[in-house]
Amino acid sequence: MHVAPHYDFAHATAALLAIGALLSGLALLAVKQVHEQVRVYAALSVFAAAYTLLVGVNRGDAALIVLAVWTAVIKVIVIPVAIDRHITRQFSEHEVPLVVQVPMSLLIGVALAGLAYWSASALPIEGALLPTPALGMPLSLVLIGFFFMITRQNVISHIVGLLVLENGVFLATVAIAPGLPFAIGFLLLLDLLPAVLFYGVFARLIAARVSSTSIEDMTVLRG
Amino acid sequence: MAAWLLIALALALFAAGTTLLVGDRTASGWISAAAATGAFASVLVAVFAYHVGVPRRSLGGAFFLDGLSGVFLIGVAFVYAVVAIYSAGYMRPGIGHVRLRRAYWPLLNLFGLALLATPVVANLGVMWVAVELTTVVSALLVTSEGSDESIEAGWKYIVIGSAGLALGLLGIVLIYAAGVPSLGDHYTPTYSTLASAGPHLNRALVHAGFAFALVGFGTKVGLVPMHAWLPDAHSEGPSPISAMLSGALLAAALYAVLRLGAIAQITVGPSYVHVLLLVFGATSLVLAGLFALRQTNYKRLLAYSSIEHMGIISLGIGIGGPIAAYGAYFQVLMHAAAKTLAFFGAGELLSRYETREVDQVRGVIRAAPFTGVMVLLGALAITGVPPFGIFRSELLIVTGGFSNSSFALAGLLIVFANIAFVGIYQTFHRMVISPGDASRGDRARVLRREQPLMAVAMLASLLVVLVLGLWIPAPLDRLLHSAAAVI
Repeated sequence: MHVAPHYDFAHATAALLAIGALLSGLALLAVKQVHEQVRVYAALSVFAAAYTLLVGVNRGDAALIVLAVWTAVIKVIVIPVAIDRHITRQFSEHEVPLVVQVPMSLLIGVALAGLAYWSASALPIEGALLPTPALGMPLSLVLIGFFFMITRQNVISHIVGLLVLENGVFLATVAIAPGLPFAIGFLLLLDLLPAVLFYGVFARLIAARVSSTSIEDMTVLRG
Repeated sequence: MAAWLLIALALALFAAGTTLLVGDRTASGWISAAAATGAFASVLVAVFAYHVGVPRRSLGGAFFLDGLSGVFLIGVAFVYAVVAIYSAGYMRPGIGHVRLRRAYWPLLNLFGLALLATPVVANLGVMWVAVELTTVVSALLVTSEGSDESIEAGWKYIVIGSAGLALGLLGIVLIYAAGVPSLGDHYTPTYSTLASAGPHLNRALVHAGFAFALVGFGTKVGLVPMHAWLPDAHSEGPSPISAMLSGALLAAALYAVLRLGAIAQITVGPSYVHVLLLVFGATSLVLAGLFALRQTNYKRLLAYSSIEHMGIISLGIGIGGPIAAYGAYFQVLMHAAAKTLAFFGAGELLSRYETREVDQVRGVIRAAPFTGVMVLLGALAITGVPPFGIFRSELLIVTGGFSNSSFALAGLLIVFANIAFVGIYQTFHRMVISPGDASRGDRARVLRREQPLMAVAMLASLLVVLVLGLWIPAPLDRLLHSAAAVI
């Protein structure tokens, strides 16, 4: 007799959040404007925070709940607002030159997600609340983040790509190793260190020259 | 032992704090040089006085020291010490071209702190944080000359390095997840815990985890094809920072790879780990050797040499067996000493000639004999000419290869070590020995006398790579053997 798998509210919500996260990753590839890219990242972070909160509540793990709140504050509000206020507005151009155009980017993004799900299905692991393969969605975000960084010729897009990649790793951690006790400590650092650094370098970049964030101007070092 | 490690870390932290308060004064140089030298001395005591051959945990399990960590710890501590001494001279007015002067010393000492912490912390998560911290501070140091090129190099380094480290973290997370079925949901991911549970870890996850870790941390090691940041960062940063990146940072990142590899080999067997190291090592050796031939910038040339050496070390560990691995760990130390010497020499050239272009530097030996001799000896040392230590370490790796019947790999090493020798030595020979020709626009700037602190740092590096090339003291010999037994 065929028994229907049991899905409760938490599993269903987690599946929806995973879909939301994956779709925001793909949506990023469709957006050309820098400030919109930052907003898509904020949306992705909403899903990441919500998923962390769900897992935390489901497991009764206070550390994860704290992490979810922290993620929401930093990734949904602080980083996007800071990038928007301190960087995006200071530069004249807002549209990012693309190496690969939007339709092709989306196709490649979908292919990368397929690749991620296929690779993840080789790993025998269950994620917290997630449908199998649990690592499909986080790995998709890692690959999409990489692809985004490679094909967007703008330093802010590089930051956004890196942050998306980092969200992928973050989601992977929450999904497959929610008990990692140092998660809180080093994930916080993972969030904060690059951000601090970006601003440091940016401040100098701005002071040193230009009103451009296009890496097309960064062509001195080759070979 | 914990006390000595704590002293080393505390000295670096103390130096970072006080130099932040003291600011851009001569005192900052002295404080940093003294603290770094003290840290090196404490590390020597911690490693040698306590027979590190036997793995030890201390400070409630926060520190873990075995042969593998001992080798890397000594390497990074030595580099930190000589770089701090050299910097104390290099930062004097009219020598280096560092514009970010106030931040230089605190960042240098924080860099030292993170490097010292990487091989001794027991928790793999904390180890990752330490490596991440090295990226943050060293990227800022790379930009400290303030030129457009250095900012571009720093940017590239942060973006590529951070992306790599995110993958490295994913590797650690996968290995952690591999332990959940046997170790439970909440456990502390230390090497000892994971190694003792090694046979029971989930094999598929360990396979994937080590691959991610190798690619991720391998980005910071500079293994080809993840090396794109390295030549720029090494070439555009101030020379003492280049020395620290090359001699210590690459090694610290390699340590992270090997520590995770040591766990992985217990679960999935050594051949998986060895093969991956061989593939990346051989690729790096070959491509870096070829790239080195066409460089016209002497600091970039040295950067490619670093990639090549990391390739050789990975190859040696990948070949495996007591001889080749022993040689590879010895090479970690010898590369640290030889490459600091070479970059210190490059710093002298840059300070005197104000160019990184090989073609614009001629006749160094006549213009500044001490610098000329040091630069040339540095080139000979990094290319593995006897009696320098790298000759000995490479010979050990080749011997290990032959005794393991890895003839092709040993042959590859012989061929490409020679190609690198030709490319590198020839270039430095031209700059140092060939007479200048003013009509071609060769510069002949020799505006200053030798800076004593810079000379001391160069002589210290030279002494190490020369003496250890001739004679390996018994405690070091035991340490290298115990490292070779780990992976």
